[in-house]
Amino acid sequence: MESNKNIVVESVEDSVYEDQSIGVELTKKDINIMAFRSLFLQASFNYERMQGCGWLYGLLPSLQKIHTNKNDLRRSMKGHLGFFNTHPFLVTFVMGIILAMERSKQDPTSINNTKIAVGAPLGGIGDAMFWLTLLPICGGIGASMALQGSIMGAVFFIILFNVVHLSLRFGLAHFAYKMGVNAIPLIKSNTKKVAHAASIVGLTVIGALVATYVRLVTTVEITAGEALVKIQDDVIDKLMPAFFPLMYTLLMYTLVKKGWSPLKLIAFTMVFGVAGKFAGIL
Amino acid sequence: MEITLIQSLMLGILAFFAGLDLFNGLTHFHRPVVLGPLVGLILGDFQTGIIIGGSLELVWMGLAPLAGAQPPNVIIGTIVGTAFAITTGVEATQAIAVAVPFAVAVQMGITFMFSLSSFLMSKADKYAEDVNCRGIDMINYGAMTLLGTFYFLWAFLPIYFGAEHAKGFVEMLPEDLMSGLGVAGGMMPAVGFAILMKIMMKNNYIPYFIIGFIAAAWLEMPVIAIAAGATAIALIDFMKKPEVAVSTQKEEFEDGI
Repeated sequence: MESNKNIVVESVEDSVYEDQSIGVELTKKDINIMAFRSLFLQASFNYERMQGCGWLYGLLPSLQKIHTNKNDLRRSMKGHLGFFNTHPFLVTFVMGIILAMERSKQDPTSINNTKIAVGAPLGGIGDAMFWLTLLPICGGIGASMALQGSIMGAVFFIILFNVVHLSLRFGLAHFAYKMGVNAIPLIKSNTKKVAHAASIVGLTVIGALVATYVRLVTTVEITAGEALVKIQDDVIDKLMPAFFPLMYTLLMYTLVKKGWSPLKLIAFTMVFGVAGKFAGIL
Repeated sequence: MEITLIQSLMLGILAFFAGLDLFNGLTHFHRPVVLGPLVGLILGDFQTGIIIGGSLELVWMGLAPLAGAQPPNVIIGTIVGTAFAITTGVEATQAIAVAVPFAVAVQMGITFMFSLSSFLMSKADKYAEDVNCRGIDMINYGAMTLLGTFYFLWAFLPIYFGAEHAKGFVEMLPEDLMSGLGVAGGMMPAVGFAILMKIMMKNNYIPYFIIGFIAAAWLEMPVIAIAAGATAIALIDFMKKPEVAVSTQKEEFEDGI
């Protein structure tokens, strides 16, 4: 099969971990440290990588234990610094799975595809669970007690909210890690298949994320005789929604391949955004 | 009632930590129902703090940060609003009216910071290249300190100098530049995706990228549905393979992912 051939070629050109032996067992304490550090997932949040650097911060102590080979640790760190965004309450579920994959020394690309494939869809689930369910329930009860002048409203709110929040955060971390570890023998013996499957789901999700996360619309309007044509509403959105986000992403992709540094691309984007605003087209 | 320098500083420090809690920690002690009483405690009127906090909670409950639409900042809204209500004795609704310009300005300021801190990421790349784990930690701690300090200022200035005077700061903000940076912030994830794609995109995966884009842009499907569909496609690919025992592997594989 053609796809099979490609996989073989990929694994040669891809960065593969030098040390292929299964990483050291992580203790309950390691997982708890990871779950605690996951509270700072958005510490260095920014629009380019979003939670990328905070995500690496959460994994780092465990990665140092798993990758005793310095080159492998470097590869792993660089991979985890890429764009990442998931729901901040459910992140430990992704972390647990990813640490199990790191232990089994899957390719960094495969790990990153899995991370995105699992992490991105959790956004919608987390919103529904926390912003639309838990917070209104806790806040509603807390506020009604507070309006009667009772401090118990605040106490009730903070306790109920965090019992659910923290038990889910720490519980998911252990659950996902165990689940991932149980699958290690399987993914270890099917590395190429896992990589291929992860790439399929990962890149499909990236295609979806380009359409949802990148926001770029034009305010240009054309007056043709009597008719006023709003380019964005009347033309772009009807023919191809998210046309500009896709074009801009492909432009960035081309420039990255030409060797532009992220720094240069960020500066370019800032100038583009501000200039577009001043020119009245964005 | 006058607010002393010490009280203003304490409210600033409260804003520092509550501001961090909005994105990090997430214990939600930054919600009005908790923050109101804390402001009351600092200003010596616990009871009013509780009640104002309760009313502000109901106001902000309808303003969840869904789908990227940022509501006026809840922390500055609550701290400035409650402080104003306690010192002047006005109703919660009037206090909100005073606090909202600051809460909106802070939200804009945060957008601005999230755009600018994209530049920090090249520093992080460098630390990863050098396997400098301490450096990665410091970037995260440093960014939090910056964000907290920003909150500190936006709580301290209006409260210490009075909302009327502090409004001058809000008006001084260059609006076009700020909203231009907001536009740039919206475009910025394209850079992150481009770098990802450089690593992950192989020609034989382009069709999947297109499918994902179509599902999100035209069909407006939720990401979870798109991921589920992609998983099905990945499974079809598995089952095509002629190996024996594929079906059992497939099941176990699902557990693994």
